[in-house]
Amino acid sequence: MTRLQKRQLLTGLLFVSPWVAGFLAFSLYPFLASAYFSACDYSVLSPAVWVGPDNYLTLARDTIFWQAVWNTLFFAAVSIPLGLLMSLTLAILLNFNVPGIGIFRTIFFLPSLMPLVCLAVLWLWMLNGDVGLINAALQPILKTLNSLFSLSLTPPNWLQEPAFAKWGLIFTGLWGVGHAMVIFLAGLQDIPRHLYESAEIDGAGFWQKTWAITLPMLSPVIYFNGIMSLIGSFQVFAVPYVMTDGGDGPERSLLFLATYLYQNAFDYWNMGYACAIGLFIFILILLLTLLATKVSSRHVHYEGN
Amino acid sequence: MKIIPDFFSVRRNLLLLGMLPILLGLAGCKPVVSPPPGRIVIRYWDKWSGFEAEAMRAVVDDFNASQNRIWVDFSSVSQINRKLMLAIGGGVPPDVAGLFGNTLAVYAENNALTPLDRLAQENGVSQERYIQVFWNICHHLGHLWALPSSPASLGLVWNKKVFRENGLDPEHAPTSIEELEKINDRLVRRDKQGRLVSVGHLPSEPGWWPAIWGWWFGGDLWDGHHITADSPANLKAMEWIASYPKRFEARELLSFRDGFGNFASPQNAFFTGRIAIILQGPWIHTFIQKFAPPDFEWGVAAFPSADPKRLSGVTLVETDVLVIPAGASHPREAFEFIQYVNTLKPMEKLCLGQRKFSPLREVSADFFSRHPNPHIRTFLELAQGPQARSVPPITIWALYENDMKQAFGKVWTGATTPVAALHEVQVHLEQEFTQRQRRWDRLADVLQQKWREE
Amino acid sequence: MKGYEKSAWIRTLVFLILAGGSAAFLAPFAWMLVTSVKPLAETMTVPPRWIPSTFQWHNYRDAIQSMGYFWLYLGNSLFLCVMTVIGTVISSTLAAYGFSRIEWKGRDSIFLLLLATMMIPFPAIMVPVYGLFKSLGWIGTFKPLWVPTFLAGAFNVFLLRQFFLTLPKDTAEAARIDGCNEWQILWYTVLPFSRPVLMVVAFFQFMATWNDFLGPLIFLTEQKTFTLALGLQSFQSQQGGTAWHHLMAASTLVVLPVIVLFFFLQRTLLEGIATSGSKN
Repeated sequence: MTRLQKRQLLTGLLFVSPWVAGFLAFSLYPFLASAYFSACDYSVLSPAVWVGPDNYLTLARDTIFWQAVWNTLFFAAVSIPLGLLMSLTLAILLNFNVPGIGIFRTIFFLPSLMPLVCLAVLWLWMLNGDVGLINAALQPILKTLNSLFSLSLTPPNWLQEPAFAKWGLIFTGLWGVGHAMVIFLAGLQDIPRHLYESAEIDGAGFWQKTWAITLPMLSPVIYFNGIMSLIGSFQVFAVPYVMTDGGDGPERSLLFLATYLYQNAFDYWNMGYACAIGLFIFILILLLTLLATKVSSRHVHYEGN
Repeated sequence: MKIIPDFFSVRRNLLLLGMLPILLGLAGCKPVVSPPPGRIVIRYWDKWSGFEAEAMRAVVDDFNASQNRIWVDFSSVSQINRKLMLAIGGGVPPDVAGLFGNTLAVYAENNALTPLDRLAQENGVSQERYIQVFWNICHHLGHLWALPSSPASLGLVWNKKVFRENGLDPEHAPTSIEELEKINDRLVRRDKQGRLVSVGHLPSEPGWWPAIWGWWFGGDLWDGHHITADSPANLKAMEWIASYPKRFEARELLSFRDGFGNFASPQNAFFTGRIAIILQGPWIHTFIQKFAPPDFEWGVAAFPSADPKRLSGVTLVETDVLVIPAGASHPREAFEFIQYVNTLKPMEKLCLGQRKFSPLREVSADFFSRHPNPHIRTFLELAQGPQARSVPPITIWALYENDMKQAFGKVWTGATTPVAALHEVQVHLEQEFTQRQRRWDRLADVLQQKWREE
Repeated sequence: MKGYEKSAWIRTLVFLILAGGSAAFLAPFAWMLVTSVKPLAETMTVPPRWIPSTFQWHNYRDAIQSMGYFWLYLGNSLFLCVMTVIGTVISSTLAAYGFSRIEWKGRDSIFLLLLATMMIPFPAIMVPVYGLFKSLGWIGTFKPLWVPTFLAGAFNVFLLRQFFLTLPKDTAEAARIDGCNEWQILWYTVLPFSRPVLMVVAFFQFMATWNDFLGPLIFLTEQKTFTLALGLQSFQSQQGGTAWHHLMAASTLVVLPVIVLFFFLQRTLLEGIATSGSKN
């Protein structure tokens, strides 16, 4: 190592040192403790007793757990791309200088500001099988289909039928893309104007500019939002928990990994088992993040480099 | 250069922000009601909020005024299970906590509570004071863990007006499941499109006790040693549940239910007459007052059983309880407060405020006349009857209830058979139970020793 | 000219799409406002009732009263917001700079650790974290809620890093040649161009603290130290039903300042174009 490299290393470490302190105290230590508990029979209040791989063996046989794994994977696979598409589209639209843009931006961010319970209540209504708005919109479509193909389709009871409950939840999620949208907006501000100006001189239209300039320039932010929604959707918990009053849903179709972890930790007094689930979630997200990083690394463009 | 003003404004803003905490710190020092000096402060957390918390707050105020040694600091705490678990684990528990009686087993076996045997003995608190079933709920593994606060039982609640309008005797509630179903059939109404408008009774409404239907068929969930989820009587109850998706369409039942709206609203199916008979507790009175139409007439009776000759008056009794968490700093003073709540006047004040009956044997002459709920006596009589039952005192009760809820849901939509559903529950719970039993076996000697010494 | 599209018909189309979509996104807020002035009996009807029979403005006064310590909660929330915003902005900026603009050995592997910290589900580490604060004697104080923000949260570091990486390096190199140290480079060549994203970080932190329910629930023990978000819980009752009209009135009061703040923030975002424009 040269002197310059050494100095760089020291400066770098100095700058990240607040984070390092936080990492050791609030991440590494609790993580190691949690990993230890995952090999114990532990209920928080009675002493942890080492049971080796027992919790993991139980996990492997636990059908409820595997159902939660499947639910979580399904939810993530559908809601991540949909959410990214939605937030990016909205951000691009909200970056136009049309009249009242400030108010539009506020409106589209509003659902992300609302207390969870307001959102949950309203969506319970929208998805209501009897009088919900969504079914009211579906009714004429189904009627036409029925008469055309002599079918007898009826609209679903969204949150009460296992086949539809997850879709109901995914729709709900699209409403709350405000955070990602704002980050995209901030990213759009950082794209130098002159790139667009020279593209316009070359005669590029809206679509060409979007494909050739906006998306590549925005790629670090897309990567950020992608990773964050990956991490977020594998830990989805609060909304289904509130909407289903306990977090299971019909035939456990809304039971996600984080819900199951929470139930085991605090409802069933099984913290050791909960920690094993936690470690599983951690490894699952980590692997997928590495995969996503590898796949996307060719497409993410950093101007600095 | 353009960036200089920016830089200054950022710094100025940061400076301004930096001053704010100081200002706020000064503003935050505003004094609030604090205990008079020299008193021992007892921290008391309860899960209640709203009017239930207000009722308890009034009792706490009385206690604080009644003597000058102890000061109870009452907080209404949401998600109390989690908060309490962390606080006890961290060694900073409150001195008194309000819990559901059906969580005593899991708290006790996990070393979360202080046994009250000695304190109760020294202070002369004993069985004679209580209606038997509540005294029993407060015991587990041969120790006393809690004293009751406000109890409840379940009964059949019916809408007399709907009965009268359909040519049924409005004063007569069904006494057998068979009769219940006859009434049910008579009350089914459909609109022109064939959609359900009203029914007599649905076991899914309000769906708060999906685990215990077997009781009205002579079954039980627990025989004292084993899980008995798939016992013949529980199976009979589940077959009764399974008869609904056969008589109606499964999807129709779901969308009918979706049309009810929120329980606490005027759209509650029971208040609108779309359902005439439900299983409910004394608190239903509060909802009727708030949300039912002014001419609403209702009655309360025992929920009918499959065999009324041998089995009548079956009900679930439960009670909220007051406990002293393990490691509490002032157990004696805490018990003094708990004991105060368990004397006649304060207890009746609490139960009147919360619209419940008292768990005490002794009742003031004017308790019932002052009670807003006209049927409170029926609920009390149900709780005193020989068929009053409480949920099994086992550590996996939360899991049991949840599994049964899932089983109910699957049978209700016809997704599975009663046998398969109960078998799944039985197998799962047996595994879980064995695991918890292993935990207990490891801890039992040490804990029992500790509890005897306390 | 702001925005990058000049074609008039595309802008009209965008306006129409936004106007159409607004209705769906306004619905929850509108419903909250309407509910906050309803009588209780009209709050939870199916289908929802959009126009109340009477406007009960006193719901607001009643809600504030029944929360007990509303003003105290407000003070507590503000205190925590100010502390956490300051902590986050300072510490995350430093850490993100260290992770993006300085080349040092092992930087990117350590950055992976930072990403990994976000992948640990919080309930699984809640017990050791609680134990840590307990041994510091911080349970029941505000410290567990703001001290950690001075130690840079992963989300914000990641976000800032992504933005710092997009800034051109030549200015920094020039400054380095002129003998500026890293602090000066950060002050003069990075921060001025990062206003939009710093505002976003500050605003998100404000929102997170303002709405945080779990942290205060776990770490605060006395009612007087509760925050607004935690105080909202007092409207939910176990068996007596929730006082929806009061809950919504209080929620409106809690949400309104954040909405106003956002409205001003997004203006800064718009102005950000002018600032960023000078980086060429």
